[in-house]
Amino acid sequence: MIIRKLLLLLYFLPLLASPDAAGQETDTVKSVRGASNSLYAEDNENNCLVCHGRLVYSLTDTTTGTTRKQLMSEHNLVVPDMFYNSVHWSFNCLDCHAEGFKTFPHPLETRFESSWGCIDCHGYDPNYAQYRFEEIDAEYQRSIHYTATEGLITCWKCHDPHYYNPLARQTTGGREYIIRSNEMCLRCHGNSDVMGLINDENVSIVLPKHEWLPDVDRHMEAVRCIDCHTRMNDSVLVAHEVMPADSAVQGCAECHSQNSILMGTLYKYVAQETRVEKGFLNGVILRNESYVIGANRSKFISFTGLFLIGMTIAIAMVHTFFRIIIKRKKIVHE
Amino acid sequence: MSKNFYHYPVWVRLWHLTNAILCLFLIVTGFSMLYSDPDRALVVKFQRAVSIHNVCGVLLTISYTAFVIGNIFTENGRHYLIAIRGMAERLWKQARYYGFGYFKGEESPFPVTGNRKFNPLQQVSYVGVMYFVLPMLFVTGWALMFPEFILKRFLGFSGVFLTDQFHVILGFLVVIFLFIHLYVSTMGKSPLSNFRSIITGWQESH
Repeated sequence: MIIRKLLLLLYFLPLLASPDAAGQETDTVKSVRGASNSLYAEDNENNCLVCHGRLVYSLTDTTTGTTRKQLMSEHNLVVPDMFYNSVHWSFNCLDCHAEGFKTFPHPLETRFESSWGCIDCHGYDPNYAQYRFEEIDAEYQRSIHYTATEGLITCWKCHDPHYYNPLARQTTGGREYIIRSNEMCLRCHGNSDVMGLINDENVSIVLPKHEWLPDVDRHMEAVRCIDCHTRMNDSVLVAHEVMPADSAVQGCAECHSQNSILMGTLYKYVAQETRVEKGFLNGVILRNESYVIGANRSKFISFTGLFLIGMTIAIAMVHTFFRIIIKRKKIVHE
Repeated sequence: MSKNFYHYPVWVRLWHLTNAILCLFLIVTGFSMLYSDPDRALVVKFQRAVSIHNVCGVLLTISYTAFVIGNIFTENGRHYLIAIRGMAERLWKQARYYGFGYFKGEESPFPVTGNRKFNPLQQVSYVGVMYFVLPMLFVTGWALMFPEFILKRFLGFSGVFLTDQFHVILGFLVVIFLFIHLYVSTMGKSPLSNFRSIITGWQESH
């Protein structure tokens, strides 16, 4: 009896596991965002954002009393509304930035402050376990972004912490998501001046390198850069192991086949995102859009299955035929 | 002179009916999902077939749980316990009967009795389907609803692709089983006697 109960438990064990909902941002959480709810808004506003929060700021020489208006560089500008609507909305600027920024003019060493990476706050935290920051960090450290730049390209070069919101939740999915995702890459790779950060030589912009692709424009609209340029890992929602350019996917069949890299990752991605957005009943059971028509069809299995069913029916018909013959013979005999 | 045995108590008949209805829906929608293309639906439109298939899959898991619990706690479970010793010989006897003996008018080698509801071939196929094929169908079906639990790659294939193919193959096995099950059911005392049994609960020996 105990063995039977254990077997029963074993059968249903996979069904008992459910995804960890911890860390999911609900609408309620989003609704509390904003400067009016931040404990540090006043502090931020009176100190850092008085200059960095506006495009034009005033600079006063305390010796002469002269005041002059200055333009804030776009790279040092933090738009307050966008910051207070990001996932890091509740932070004080100095939670992340060096203490040296408290004084003005900022001392030289602040220029060399090392910025926190995602893993420093989110790693090994059960509340964020579902996002697998540890795995993302391991992928990042293997990526060309890390290895070729000695870590100069940090998380923040792609994900601005002041404005960060998960991309999938800012878009309606599909093409919009792909375009926004690619914009993230093109901010550097589409701008030879920014690429100068890592390379003193003149770096050409990215698009001409894709001329080998048939129908380049359609690919650019429908495929994320990372779909070909990262090593796919479908346990992480967005792969972060960016490979050297010569290792990128270039074979048509790697994407255009049923057993493709994309099929596995996109199926998981859509299934998880739909469940988060619509819940189990609507997202998984009733309106599950992750299963795409014909996506996993195997002609061999479809044909063999039908053939075996046909054979079963044929054998049953032959058996029935002989049953009828025998029955008739019996009736005649009697 | 045949005897009647009460082999199908009410809960078994209710479970069997639920199981049959859900399986039919699952098969029809499963075929619709497998063979539809964007311009032409097979029986049920693709997206509707996905929804119905998922709902029936969840309900079948619940009904199956009830069946397993029923088998653990009632006498019905003993019909699914296979005696391994001499099994090959019993299976051969029964297969030979279906292939030849039946036509020669021989007596059934394993007739229905108070203690025996299934012949050896039925027993092995029912245990195979109920305790191996269906659970694997549930595991793969639920895994496709929670794909984060699926291995990313296995033997060079995408885990999602393999899980789906395995689910489809198991589905085909259930369809083949269903045809055999229905056909063998016509080989009772009369072609309709076994169908009557699953409605009334009383099974005729033959």
